[in-house]
Amino acid sequence: MSLVAGLIAIGAGIAVGFGAIGSGIGQGIAAGKAFEAMARQPEVRGTVQTFLIIALAFMETLTIYGLVIAFMLLNKMS
Amino acid sequence: MFGSMAESTGILEGLLHPSLYVKTAWGVMAFLALISYLGTRKMERVPRGLQNILEMAVEGLYNFIGGIVGEKKAPKYFPFIATFFLFILISNYIGLLPFAGHEGPYVPPTSTISVTAALAIIVFLATQFFGIAEKGLGYFKHFITPFIFMLPLNILEQLVRPLSLSMRLYGNIYGHELVVGTFMGLVPMLIPVVFNLLGVLTGAIQAVVFTLLTSSYIGEAVHDDHH
Repeated sequence: MSLVAGLIAIGAGIAVGFGAIGSGIGQGIAAGKAFEAMARQPEVRGTVQTFLIIALAFMETLTIYGLVIAFMLLNKMS
Repeated sequence: MFGSMAESTGILEGLLHPSLYVKTAWGVMAFLALISYLGTRKMERVPRGLQNILEMAVEGLYNFIGGIVGEKKAPKYFPFIATFFLFILISNYIGLLPFAGHEGPYVPPTSTISVTAALAIIVFLATQFFGIAEKGLGYFKHFITPFIFMLPLNILEQLVRPLSLSMRLYGNIYGHELVVGTFMGLVPMLIPVVFNLLGVLTGAIQAVVFTLLTSSYIGEAVHDDHH
């Protein structure tokens, strides 16, 4: 294990970890607002749920991009 | 690079000895064709059984895609977009079958960048083709609106789309496979079931997201400016 391999491992960790922070915050805000809307107007529950799940998938994608980068970095290591 | 692309060799080699992904993709296509054939073999006015399920699926998809592309354009572009949805959905769900894995008898075709990139490139080319076929040279007008300075940005936006489409699908499915595999190694019983349940959700959502984006890209390309 060289220094380069260690640095690559750290980079892969950072790519996923920091990427997760942003989408975590975003998903929290979106889900909170959706629940607020459902509590205020329970009859829109179905519609809000559908759009919420799609929106969450889009936010999750940003972390997944980090994950893809991490895979690429880990493959460089070996 | 990309983990699962290790065995990339020549084109001839690929044709003679197709990879597990390609074989599974053929399996998915055969399954869809078979289901469609069986469902439409003896069509009845009042649908029963398989025909009923297929009609429900097609009608639901038609309403979903028609709502984005626009009612008028929907009949023309629906078959193209809906095929993507069905193929991706079944491909994602291959991973839920027992023994599925990268060394196993089958593997989700969407868990390799090659397949998702192929799908995304088809969407990219089709979007340009449909746009030009629908509006002629007028299609290129939206590249220079509102100003001519927006041209590089608009071109960049078009080129980034296939990249993000393919990365999203590949990352989600491959990441999910990896998580299930890791937990299978840690706890071989019960715990992977939870992640597989999550996989049911992920597979459907990613298929919906891909279809949603495809229909909105095509809808935007063929959209009438007159009203």
